[in-house]
Amino acid sequence: MNIIGPDLLVFGVDDVPACHEFLTAYGLTAREYSPETGGFYDSLDGTGLAIRRRNDPSLPPALKTGSMLRLTVLGVTDQAALDAVAAELRKDRQVLHLADGTMRCQDDQGFELAFQITIRKPLTIEGEKVNAPYHPARPVNALGVTQDMPAAPRTLSHLVLFVPDIETAVNFYCNRLGFRHTDTLGGAGPFLRPQANPDHHTHFFIRTPPYMQGIEHLAFHLGGPTELMLAGSRMMEQGYESFWGPGRHKFGSNWFWYFKSPLACNVEFDADMDTHDDSWAPREAPMGPEASQAFLMQWRAKWAPGGGPKG
Amino acid sequence: MLCRVEDLDEGAARGFEVPGWRAKVIVVRKEGVVHGWRDLCPHYAGGTPMAWKRDAYLNGGRTHLACHAHGAWFDIETGVCVQGACLGKRLTRVPLRIDEAGGVHLDRPPREERP
Repeated sequence: MNIIGPDLLVFGVDDVPACHEFLTAYGLTAREYSPETGGFYDSLDGTGLAIRRRNDPSLPPALKTGSMLRLTVLGVTDQAALDAVAAELRKDRQVLHLADGTMRCQDDQGFELAFQITIRKPLTIEGEKVNAPYHPARPVNALGVTQDMPAAPRTLSHLVLFVPDIETAVNFYCNRLGFRHTDTLGGAGPFLRPQANPDHHTHFFIRTPPYMQGIEHLAFHLGGPTELMLAGSRMMEQGYESFWGPGRHKFGSNWFWYFKSPLACNVEFDADMDTHDDSWAPREAPMGPEASQAFLMQWRAKWAPGGGPKG
Repeated sequence: MLCRVEDLDEGAARGFEVPGWRAKVIVVRKEGVVHGWRDLCPHYAGGTPMAWKRDAYLNGGRTHLACHAHGAWFDIETGVCVQGACLGKRLTRVPLRIDEAGGVHLDRPPREERP
């Protein structure tokens, strides 16, 4: 199955202007926004989020838990891939073909899904380049950082779901949709990637009681760790609140910085994730502080030594 | 003093640093009564701060205190989680005292906490 990953996540929220404020500060570009109905929030390659009011009649039904995630739209490579997904899922569930070309269904735990030929526009901007001794990656005189350099989310990376039944989730994504299992955090759950995407994960599941079912966090990729540090620092300077990070995960090697949000889930910046192919052998480690990160730091306001001893 | 009652709109919440405490105190006014809560969501051990930006503690409908990591809702008057990740658990109340001039204070001097 040539699935690439999430193209669009649709939320039904209580406070549209708050979500608009947060997501534009996070670096997404608002499109077709109105405080009454919501809007789209695009990253650089066109993937992103849609914000609607909770009671918007165009939205699929909400989970009973209060989670605001209403629909996950997965992008596939082409029409043949879309047909293959439809043929597989028609075997045991209702699959709707909508006028906009998307295909709509539910997964095995009640999350609403749609599939479409991906809307991703490949990017020509380069990633971060690091000058290591004897191996400079930047041209001479090219600067590594400037205070006002862009640090915009480039593409929708992954989503993490609280699910009551890991086995059901893994069966659906791996055995029905052909996702590959990359690693497992024991006690939490597995990291999965779809076949047409080498990223370490587009999906991660965490086992929870049924009353928690919903989205735990979503993440966009930035161009590198410097962009991530700048983007997160800009959020902190404006009074937004960090949940976790900055740091660097072990599984996936992605740099991370999570912020709380009015979408009832964390919203993460990530950068420099590992890629894998089918020769990769999954690892397993027990969920906890040691396995979750190589290192963890905490932001502080700018400071510099100077001024001499007090008094 | 944390703030004055007159600085708190009905139905509004604000967070205040307390020297020596690792998390803020949330002061929230509902039906004229001022409540104090530790800014620590009980979802994870030790608690985590709840606002999505400075002073943004209420849910979108302004009906509950909310943890904006995962959307748990807490009753403003009792601190009990009524929806989400820590269903049935509760926030830690911070007893407050209001002086004759309307100043809002911690009812007891704070003890130092380990970070």
